[in-house]
Amino acid sequence: MRIRAIAEGDLDELQALARETGVGFTSLPDNREFLAARIAATVAAFEERTPVDQRLYFFVLEDEESGRLAGCCAIEGQVGREIPFYHYRLGTLAHSSVQLDLHRTIDTLFLSSDHTGDAEVASLFLRPEYRGADRRHQRNGALLSMMRWLFMAEFRDRFPDKVLAEMRGVFDERGRSPFWECLGSHFFPLDFDQADRLTGLGQKSFIGELMPKFPIYTPFLSEAARACIGQVHADTRPALAMLKKEGLRWEGFIDIFDGGPTVEAYIDDVRGVRLSQRCRVEVSAGESAPVPRPRWLAATTGMAGFRAAWVSHGPDTQGVVTLDEVEAQRLGVTSGDTLRLLDTDEEAR
Amino acid sequence: MLVIRPVRQADLPALERLAGCATPRLTNLPAHRDRLEERIARSQRAFAAEVEMPGDEHYTFVLEDLERGEVVGTATIRAQAGAREAYYTYRQETLIHASQQLDVRREVPTLSLSHEVSEATLLCALSIDARYKGTSAESLLRRARLMFIAQYPERFAAILAMAFPGYLDGQGESPFWNSVGRHFFVRDYQEINYLAGVRSKSFIAEVMPQFPLYLALLTPQARAAIGREHPDHEPALNEMLAEGFLRSRHVDIFDAGPVIKAERERLASFRRAAWHPVRIRPAHTLPDAEPAMVANQRLGDFRCVVARYALSPTGQLMLSPAHAERLGVEEGRAVLAAPLSLPGGIDEHDPGYDEGEL
Repeated sequence: MRIRAIAEGDLDELQALARETGVGFTSLPDNREFLAARIAATVAAFEERTPVDQRLYFFVLEDEESGRLAGCCAIEGQVGREIPFYHYRLGTLAHSSVQLDLHRTIDTLFLSSDHTGDAEVASLFLRPEYRGADRRHQRNGALLSMMRWLFMAEFRDRFPDKVLAEMRGVFDERGRSPFWECLGSHFFPLDFDQADRLTGLGQKSFIGELMPKFPIYTPFLSEAARACIGQVHADTRPALAMLKKEGLRWEGFIDIFDGGPTVEAYIDDVRGVRLSQRCRVEVSAGESAPVPRPRWLAATTGMAGFRAAWVSHGPDTQGVVTLDEVEAQRLGVTSGDTLRLLDTDEEAR
Repeated sequence: MLVIRPVRQADLPALERLAGCATPRLTNLPAHRDRLEERIARSQRAFAAEVEMPGDEHYTFVLEDLERGEVVGTATIRAQAGAREAYYTYRQETLIHASQQLDVRREVPTLSLSHEVSEATLLCALSIDARYKGTSAESLLRRARLMFIAQYPERFAAILAMAFPGYLDGQGESPFWNSVGRHFFVRDYQEINYLAGVRSKSFIAEVMPQFPLYLALLTPQARAAIGREHPDHEPALNEMLAEGFLRSRHVDIFDAGPVIKAERERLASFRRAAWHPVRIRPAHTLPDAEPAMVANQRLGDFRCVVARYALSPTGQLMLSPAHAERLGVEEGRAVLAAPLSLPGGIDEHDPGYDEGEL
C-alpha cells in the first residue's frame, strides 16, 4: 500500500470512491466534472504551477497488488481564498448585573471567517474493505491521516501558520441533523443533503447570502440542537482521536450546517510535523521479515513522484534508514536518496 | 362629577390602591409606596418648573370623583420617554436574504433593540378603578393628557407614543418573556416587571441580549405574542388608534406588547380642539349637545372635565356653574374643548404599520 498524488488516469476510480462516501462527506461529491477539476488542480499543484494559496494536494492510497484505489485524502493549501469559508464560533457573552444579582453566561454562535488562509486536511476516505479487522495491521487509516504531516513538514514553506480539520457532526438514526433542523432549515430553502452537496461542489455563495449574520444565542436552539454543538458522528470518533493525538484541538469553531467541530493547530506544533526527520536511504538486498504492526512512516522529499508508505525500520544513530528492495521500489527511492521519517509511536514531547 | 387634575401628596393611598389593581401590573406604576411618593413629588416639580423643551419631566394626573370624594384613576405623561436613560424597545425588522445562486428570496424577520422611541413623549401608567372601566371617565383619563399637551406644546415632543401591556396567557405568563427574556434573567415575567418598575426598565434592558433576535428561533407562542395587546387593553388601544395613533414596528422588550405612535398634530383631539370663551348658564337651561373634554388653561391647576359641547350662536361655550367652578373659570375666560367622541367607526380604521419616520 502506498500514497501518491492523484493522477489523470484515476478519474473513474475516484468517482467510484465518491459514490461510496455518504451524507456529511461534503468534499467528495459524486460529480465527475467536479472530480476531474480536483485532479487537474492537484496535478497543477504538484507541478507547482499554481500560487501556494490556491493549491489542492489530493492524495490516493494505492493497492499495488490490485492497482485499485483503497482511499484518499487531501490538503487544501489555504481555505477561503476563492470562495468564502464559514464557521460558527461558539463564544461566551456575560449577562451580568450587580443590582439584579445576576450573573449568567450565554453561549452564542458567531458567524466567522476566521480560518481564511489556513490549511485544511480533508477528504479522508478509506474503502470499507481496507479497514476491516483483517486489515487493521496495515494501519491504512493512520497512513492516510498522518502522511499529510510529513508532506507539510517537508514542504513547510508552501503552507501557512495554521491547519484545521472539519469533523462530521451528529446525525440521528434517520440520518437527520438536529442542528440543521433547528437552525439552518429556517434560513435555507434546501434540505441538508442538497445544501451539503452544493457546499461540496464549492458552490457556497448561497451560504453567505442566506445565513443569519447576527450571532445566535444558543438558548434559542432546541436541546437536541444544542447537544450537537462540537460533537462528532460516532463513525468520526477514531479520526478525531487521531487528530487530537497530533495536537489538534477544538477551539470552539463548528460547522454551520451540522454543528460538528473544527479542530485546529499551528502547523509547527503538530506532533507529526515536529517529530518527523530527514534520513538517508540505504537499500539492502532481499526482503525483510514482515512487522506485525508498522510504526515508521516514510515520505519522499520531492513534489514530483511524491510517495509515502509504512517502512519496517527506523533510522539508525547515524540517521540512515535501511529499506528492503520492495520498500525502496514502493517509494521509488535508491541508496543515497533522502526520506522523511516519522515514528508514529513516539509520544509528543 | 369627574375631574382630571394634577396629583397631590394626599393622593398617595389612592395611587397605591390603583397601582395594586392594574391588570396586568404596570411596569410604570409599581405598587411600591416609596416609588409612588417619588412619582408624586416628581410630578409636582414638573408642573412647577419652567420648561422650554421636553426633558425629564413626568406629569402625573388623577381622576377624582367629587361625589364620592375619591381618586379613582391615574395617568402620566413622560415628556421624553428616555430622557435620562434610553427607552428600549424591540423594533420588528425584515431582512432580505436573497441568493442568486439558488434563485430564492427570503424574508427574515428579526427583532432589534432600539432606542428610537426615547425622544418621543410617552403617555403611560394609566390605571382606573374597575367600576369606571369602559365609561367616558376612562376616555377622559386617557385623553385629558392630550388636552394638556395641546396647551403646552413646548413641554412635549412632536411625536407621542404609548406602550400597551402585552399578551399574557391564562396563567398570567408572558409567552414572549418565556421564550426570550427568561433565558437571560432566569426570573418570571411578573417578577422582572415589578423589578423594572421599582428600579428602572432601561437598567434591566442593558442586560438584554444586544444582538437582533431571529423570529424563526422563538417559540410559535412567542411569535404570536409580538405586537399583540393584553385582551383587557384592546378597547383602549382601539380608542387611541381612532384618535390617530398608528401601530409602530416597536414592541415592548419584556412582553412584546404593541407601541403605538403619532405625530401629535395629526391626532383628532388636537385637530378638533378649539378655544372658546366661557358663558355660565344654569344647568337646566343648557341645550343638549355632544359630550366634550373641556380644559382650563392653568398649568399647575390644570383641570379637565367632560361637559356638553353647547356653543352659543357667538361661539361661547355654555357651562353650568358647577363645571365652571370645577374648572376654576369665570365668565369670559377661555377654555379648550374637544369632542369626546372620535371620528369614524373604530372598525373601519385600519392603521397598518406606519412606514415613515415613526
